[in-house]
Amino acid sequence: MNLRTQLWLLAALGVLLAALGSALLLSSDAREAPVWALASPFMMLSFIGVGLFAWWRRPHSGFGALMTAVGFVFFLSAPMASDTPALYGLGYVFSSLYLGTIVHMLLAFPEGRLDRARDRWIVGGVYALVLGANLVLLLLDGPLEDDSHPRNAYVLVHAPGVAKVALGVAEGLGVLLAGAVIATFVERWRAATAPERRSLGPVLWTGTGLILGVGLSVGLDLVGAGSTVALVPDLAALACLLALPYVFLLGLGRRRWFAAGAIGSLIQRLSAARRTGGVREALAEALGDPTLRLLYWLPRDQRYVDLEGRAVELPADGAGRGVTEVRAEGRRIAALVHDAALLDDPDLVQAAGAAAALALENERLGAELRARVEELEQSRAGIIAFGLAERRRFERDLHDGAQQRLVALGLQVGMARAKLRDDPSAAGELLDGAREELRQAQQELRELARGLHPAVLTERGLGAAVDGLVQRATVPVEIRCMPPERLPNAVETVAYFVLAEGLTNVAKYAGARHASVAVERVNGHAVVEVRDDGVGGADPAAGTGLRGLADRLAAVDGRLEILSPPGAGTVVRARIPCASS
Amino acid sequence: MATTVLIVDDHPSFRATARMLLEAEGYDVVGEAPDGHSALECAGRLAPQVVLLDVNLPDLDGFAVASRLTAAGATGAHPQVVLISSRDGSDYGPLVLASGARGFIPKGELSGAALEAVLA
Repeated sequence: MNLRTQLWLLAALGVLLAALGSALLLSSDAREAPVWALASPFMMLSFIGVGLFAWWRRPHSGFGALMTAVGFVFFLSAPMASDTPALYGLGYVFSSLYLGTIVHMLLAFPEGRLDRARDRWIVGGVYALVLGANLVLLLLDGPLEDDSHPRNAYVLVHAPGVAKVALGVAEGLGVLLAGAVIATFVERWRAATAPERRSLGPVLWTGTGLILGVGLSVGLDLVGAGSTVALVPDLAALACLLALPYVFLLGLGRRRWFAAGAIGSLIQRLSAARRTGGVREALAEALGDPTLRLLYWLPRDQRYVDLEGRAVELPADGAGRGVTEVRAEGRRIAALVHDAALLDDPDLVQAAGAAAALALENERLGAELRARVEELEQSRAGIIAFGLAERRRFERDLHDGAQQRLVALGLQVGMARAKLRDDPSAAGELLDGAREELRQAQQELRELARGLHPAVLTERGLGAAVDGLVQRATVPVEIRCMPPERLPNAVETVAYFVLAEGLTNVAKYAGARHASVAVERVNGHAVVEVRDDGVGGADPAAGTGLRGLADRLAAVDGRLEILSPPGAGTVVRARIPCASS
Repeated sequence: MATTVLIVDDHPSFRATARMLLEAEGYDVVGEAPDGHSALECAGRLAPQVVLLDVNLPDLDGFAVASRLTAAGATGAHPQVVLISSRDGSDYGPLVLASGARGFIPKGELSGAALEAVLA
């Protein structure tokens, strides 16, 4: 059975019980019975009707259910109208239970949950008091009602004196509990944010009136004031009780009305807001939430940034903040991070976001531009640092490699010359050694020069340079795909270094048996890929090589992607913008 | 009696060549050290007359090693330190003499005669 059907069944049950209650009252001998025969079903059906409406609107909040429960609890006191003593007594025990349910409902407003231990104690205390006090009075034959009720059928011990004392204690506790409830209301009001106050206000203040009225009435009875004096707070409490469901409805309506006004003035403000950041202020004002933050979506980077273009994370669930996404023509453009209380009214926030979508898109473009500038500045600094590190590395390689070999070569030639006359065979050996040093020095210089810029790349293009890389690789490398035409110089150079660094890493770290490379033109990009079947687990942040690559790529607006799950090989993939000529 | 020499350089191939060269020219190479700390230790133990000391060592820098070797003179005789490098001596300016070394020989020009000229 779906929720709608269940709620309709509850409504039907409510009507049935209300009619039954009225019938009981009309058949009663009690003096005020005819008045109550009208008032009681009115109250019952007010709470049940509005409660079911709230339940249907927000099924995940327990508040609607609590309000519905208040209506049904009224019915439990209906047997008091009976002229049968047994039924009368039963009704009497439950006649004040509605106070417990109402305090429960008010303290649980608007989520329908009692989150704080103190609130649970208060609600538990009220339930215990309203049931316990009436039960004690009944069993000890205490004073029940002023007049015209049937005989008490449940007397256990005839001790009206004790019962009177018990009544006094219960009334004292009742006043204390009423004070605690009002104090809680005041506390909540003071702690509430502006949007929270908007939704709490009407119910909280009417509830305060009700509890104040009941508390005063009980207090006056305790000090022995006449029943005429107590009539004022009694009537006030009754008025608040009757009004409570409608005040709740009024709150909902007020929010609708507020929303319509807010969106109207938002649109006016937006057309006036010209300067940067004006949209945030306009939205914050419209939603009544000064803590509102705007985040702008960068589709290329798949992340949010602030107005300055700095990366920002969405708040975690349970951080007391709500997030509402703003979309325009199906694209995500921004997110509003706002007071969680505004989630009660998602339509308002959505509408405000939609009204501001155009202005948000403008600001988003600005934020995107600033993010790109920031990124370029970072990559420029990275390229400079990378270049300096490269120069240091070349100096060291030259000094430790070729230069040392040339030193040894000079010494060996000098010694060979000294031995030429006395020991020609030793001189020959020295010259052989010198030739080997020379060969190795040449080899090292060649490799260094290639590391600076491979000549074959400029002369014969990427395909030929990659053939050379593949030939020198330490594992078999398959060339899966290579563009037949020449690519722009800068693209070929970066692509070459991606492949060279990728294959160097395959040789050094991957422990692979096989690797493959590919360069493909896809949607205006050159996609460059090195793939191996090695151990995986490569960390792009760990090595200078991959970081250097990322910086080189950033300089040409490219992106580096490393997929390297442990044990499942590594894919190094770069995308370099490369418009077809 | 032949002059005793300790060769300090982190490249084994250079040490071997320099040893051959100096021995061919009548020097007595009493030891080799690959870095600054072992150079200080060997100099203390072997008491060579000359230490041929590379400027670029993996741990201490050659100038620091030279300063410590020549400062040892306070307690007695200290070795003559000759700095060597594959870089040019002019790269280092006054650092060579300030370190207490007798002089500098570029590695490619090392020979018995060059060493003799610096020590003279």
